[in-house]
Amino acid sequence: MKTEDRFDLPQGTLDLLIMRVVALGPIHGYALAQRIQQMSREALQVQQGSLYPALHRLEYKKLLASNWQPSETGREAKFYELTAKGRAHLKAETKNWKRLTDVVGLILQGTMEGIS
Amino acid sequence: MSWLQRLFARRHMESDLEKELQFHFESQVADKMRSGISEVEARRLTRLEFGGIEQIKEDCRESRGTMWLESLVQDVRYGLRQLRKSPDFTFIAILSLALGIGANTAIFTLLNAILLRPLPVQMPSELLLFGNGQAQGSTSSIPDGNTKLFSYSFFHDFRQKDTSFSGIAAVDSSQFATKAAIGGAAYQTTHVDLVSGSYFSVLGVPAFLGRTISESDDGADGAGPVAVASYSWFQRQFNGDPSAVGKTIRIQSHDYTLVGVARPGFYGYTVGQSTDLWIPLSMGKAFSRPGWNGLGDKFFQSLYLFGRLKPGVTATQASTETNLLFKQILRSYLGPQPSQKHLDELAHASVQLNPGGRGVSYLRYAFSVPLEILMAIVALVLLIACANIANMLLARGVARTREVAMRMALGASRRRIVLQLLTESALLAFLGAAAGIALSWKASVVLLRMAAPGPDPVPLNLTPDMAVLGFTLGVAVVTALLFGMLPAFRATALEFTPALKDGRGSSSSTTRGALARSLMVGQVALSVVLLVVAGLFVRSLINLSAVETGFDKRNVLIFSLDSSTANLPHGTPEEIRSVQVQEQIEDRVQNIPGVRADGFAFFTFNEGGWTDEALFQGIPRTQANGGEVFFNITGKGYFSTMGIQLVEGRLFNAQDTQMSNKVAVINESMARHFFPNGSAIGHRFGIGETPDHPGEKEVIGVVKDAKYTSLAEEQVDGSIATQSLIARLSSFFGIIAVFLGCIGIYGLLSYSVARRTNEFGVRLALGARSHMLLWMILRECILLLVIGLALGVPVALSSTRIFKSLLYELSPLDPTAIFIAIAAVSIMTIAAAWLPARRATKIDPMQALRTE
Repeated sequence: MKTEDRFDLPQGTLDLLIMRVVALGPIHGYALAQRIQQMSREALQVQQGSLYPALHRLEYKKLLASNWQPSETGREAKFYELTAKGRAHLKAETKNWKRLTDVVGLILQGTMEGIS
Repeated sequence: MSWLQRLFARRHMESDLEKELQFHFESQVADKMRSGISEVEARRLTRLEFGGIEQIKEDCRESRGTMWLESLVQDVRYGLRQLRKSPDFTFIAILSLALGIGANTAIFTLLNAILLRPLPVQMPSELLLFGNGQAQGSTSSIPDGNTKLFSYSFFHDFRQKDTSFSGIAAVDSSQFATKAAIGGAAYQTTHVDLVSGSYFSVLGVPAFLGRTISESDDGADGAGPVAVASYSWFQRQFNGDPSAVGKTIRIQSHDYTLVGVARPGFYGYTVGQSTDLWIPLSMGKAFSRPGWNGLGDKFFQSLYLFGRLKPGVTATQASTETNLLFKQILRSYLGPQPSQKHLDELAHASVQLNPGGRGVSYLRYAFSVPLEILMAIVALVLLIACANIANMLLARGVARTREVAMRMALGASRRRIVLQLLTESALLAFLGAAAGIALSWKASVVLLRMAAPGPDPVPLNLTPDMAVLGFTLGVAVVTALLFGMLPAFRATALEFTPALKDGRGSSSSTTRGALARSLMVGQVALSVVLLVVAGLFVRSLINLSAVETGFDKRNVLIFSLDSSTANLPHGTPEEIRSVQVQEQIEDRVQNIPGVRADGFAFFTFNEGGWTDEALFQGIPRTQANGGEVFFNITGKGYFSTMGIQLVEGRLFNAQDTQMSNKVAVINESMARHFFPNGSAIGHRFGIGETPDHPGEKEVIGVVKDAKYTSLAEEQVDGSIATQSLIARLSSFFGIIAVFLGCIGIYGLLSYSVARRTNEFGVRLALGARSHMLLWMILRECILLLVIGLALGVPVALSSTRIFKSLLYELSPLDPTAIFIAIAAVSIMTIAAAWLPARRATKIDPMQALRTE
């Protein structure tokens, strides 16, 4: 296991990542986990134990919708997609996230200059 | 999907969840195999990476948001299964809860109906009662304290001047049955209330049919010969026929027109005394009652007053204004030159405004203290029942250690298991509460009959209402938490490995034992408190019924005569004809074979009385010696009928007529009071503060004292009925408490003996004598008993003081009652311990050593 590259995601970030990936098109849980791993260049490995509860939570909040479709292997899989509400939510959350990272970055940079 | 649909689609969702995770698992295995790993190895690795699949499922369920409901349904089902599995435990637990909760509900039902429930009127919270309503009848003395009854003149003068109330109403306080007849039919017993014209409008009670009594009915004397019926009387007499309105009703010797029927559910301003007919106060003269003096007298005070506050006026503002006007108006009644004595009395007079939305009730007056005591007693009984069930649950918790450990190992959170165990407790509590409500429904009716014995049941609605159901629900929840909380947390606080291996929970058994023992000590303490209280009331009741009444209660029959319906003159100079009829009856009854003596009397035993001052000629009235005495008017056979003995002089005889000298018989106390040094015979006195006829009555005889108005004059508000109610119920609940306590002790020791079978076997095998074993077990129990008594007796001793006023010639520290309570609790406790202890000595060592 590549434990050295993994780190804990801040609270609520996983939901954002899931929605971002689902926004690309209908996708099932396994592919979703792999996609996040690829897109993060193997830095993030989402555990089943957090992925599925998060998916079910988002579905319960009506941010995601699901239906059963045959997967690439032909087996039936549960595919998730964004609802209109999910899309709006993703947009707003992405904007929030950007603002937050900008602000945090600004402060952290300032401190580093002060130290050096 | 709504959460409700989700609940029902549960099975479907479960299989979806399973399928979804299975798909993930298989895909991962397939990926690994593609990279060249064998299938067996790929599956093993994937399983490792997955971790607990049941845990993931549980988290998914939780994130769906219906978890609480799903687990509740699951827990209830599981709990019911568990309860069914141990029927003995379930039966005993539900039985003790049904008794405990049932007793609480029954007493609360009465408390609610008598003390708490507002009248079915408009905005009851706006109503204020003048005085506390704890007086009945009439008085003519100048008010000199908290005034409770008011005169008709005061009512009129006050309502003209006041600005705080949007309306004020009056109702006559004398409540007794009279006779009424509909359209020439036979007279029937009917409860009639005399009310002001504003009565219905102030209460906001509309007519169901016709109209209610209005201001125009309550004008000049005799101006309003109308009556309004209560809905239930209307139903009883007319079967709901609307043509009843307009019919003529004869009440006593006057005709009234029935003008309307009041709204269903309204029984008048007095709780526990339902009114059949209301007539206006303007008919006061036509309506005769004992002691009636007419409404014209400014100091004839016989009315309850209540008013509805104007919006924005506070009770304090109203009280200030009321007291100001009260003194002003009464001062004007005293005339231009009042005596200093009257002015002093008036200076002390005041009106207390009380919340009036609950009406007035003699039941409230008589039963508020007993009901509060009983409420405290049944609360203690319920506490004991809770301790019992907590104890049983603790024992069960130990037996279920393995099950709990298993579930926690499988990924159930501690919170989840505590909730599940609490659900079981709640199930028990609700089953017990349901049985309790069924029990109390009948019990409260029986209690009311015990409290107020008499031929007619007290009309009080005891059907459980929202307040009662809410109370019981609250009690059930509190009890479930009380007896369930501790065992649930205890059961889940365990160390895994030993618990799974052993299943007997040896690691937690000592703390469990300590808890169970303190619960037992508590039970003993509470039982002894309850028994001391019960013993005190029983002993007080015995004192009360053994008291020297001064007359012979045996073989006396009472009947009463309503002179107005017999068409005898009343309140006129012709009234003497009534007396002559009574004398004829007296003589005729005397001649009936088997009748030893008979006599008429204005008042009989415990029926009330009439007080006034007696002014003897030659004896100056002093400040300390008010000269207030009780009066009664009797026929010549009265003393011999009641068995009251003559001490000196003579009794009334046929020569004492209207024409002869006015004579009186007094009792020993009165004779001693006025003539400490000589005979009272031959002295003359007049009645009243300033007698109209001074020295009119001559004392012709002195008789022995009899306890007349109340057996226990020194008591605040006791009567035999309330005494016997408290005595009977407190002993009943005391016995239940001890009984529950014994079940607890028996259960605890049986359990501990069963657990220690092994140890006892070894001891016996090593040569221990059976009586030593017996003593070893009993010693523990006696220690608990002694600690329990050491805690309970001081509590009992310090708390019984509050009953002092309710105990008749008995100290609240009565040693007999305390001794009996201690003895009863001790004997019962040791008996409950004896049985399991005996069992321990009968253990066969060989068998004991083989069990585990």
